[in-house]
Amino acid sequence: MKVRVTLFGALRDADPRGFVEMDVPDHCTIATLREALQSHVRHHASSISENLIKRSAFASEDEILHNHRHVPEHGQVAVLPPVSGG
Amino acid sequence: MTDIYTAVVDIAHAPLNPASALDFVSDPRFGGIATFIGRVRQHNHGRVVTGITYDLFDPLALRIFQDIGERARAEVGGPLKLYIAHAKGSLRIGDFAVVIAAATAHRDEAFRACRLAIEAVKHEAPIWKQEHYVDGDSAWSEGCSLCEEHREAELAAAQQPGHTRGHGH
Repeated sequence: MKVRVTLFGALRDADPRGFVEMDVPDHCTIATLREALQSHVRHHASSISENLIKRSAFASEDEILHNHRHVPEHGQVAVLPPVSGG
Repeated sequence: MTDIYTAVVDIAHAPLNPASALDFVSDPRFGGIATFIGRVRQHNHGRVVTGITYDLFDPLALRIFQDIGERARAEVGGPLKLYIAHAKGSLRIGDFAVVIAAATAHRDEAFRACRLAIEAVKHEAPIWKQEHYVDGDSAWSEGCSLCEEHREAELAAAQQPGHTRGHGH
């Protein structure tokens, strides 16, 4: 399935469009998506550290999606680097 | 729930307004109001800051603000009105970044609810701060991980004596 990952904060530097699109196995987990994003960044945005992807969370518009969760069927997720509001 | 107001405010359209927060939480039931106002300051880690850009994932931020409000209500254990608003976009020195107001019957619950809310907004909401410096450089703040494995480790490290990074922001 094709997944669109919306970028925020420092991860916006990974793609000026503000998102990346990747093909991942159907019904895969967030952990698999994380590995796919690390590979994508390694090849297409080498200025982004792999540690930043490791420390980032994935989320839908409603909740944080931890590693054991499945990628939503609509194929839209956000990747959230460490937060710094306030 | 009408006793909890949450907002993400694009300051290209309007600034945050603390008076609106006081208006919202004011209620004849409540004798105590605690507020927290975060403003953009001129120095950080020894560097001269000229401005800040805030990036937010709006729908999830609003959902988390609401969850924070429910937690504050549980902490208080009684009637509460709470206002949480955070700015989005490019801010200058002195601009309001975040406004929290909590109103309860007495001051202790108001202070506790306000403190809980601002700490949770800083550490849990999907908000990112990019500082711009006088030398033309910019940097995203290091921040707190929302990823469960890293979050637990970072929170534990932050509670160690001598810890100076991570939760000082």
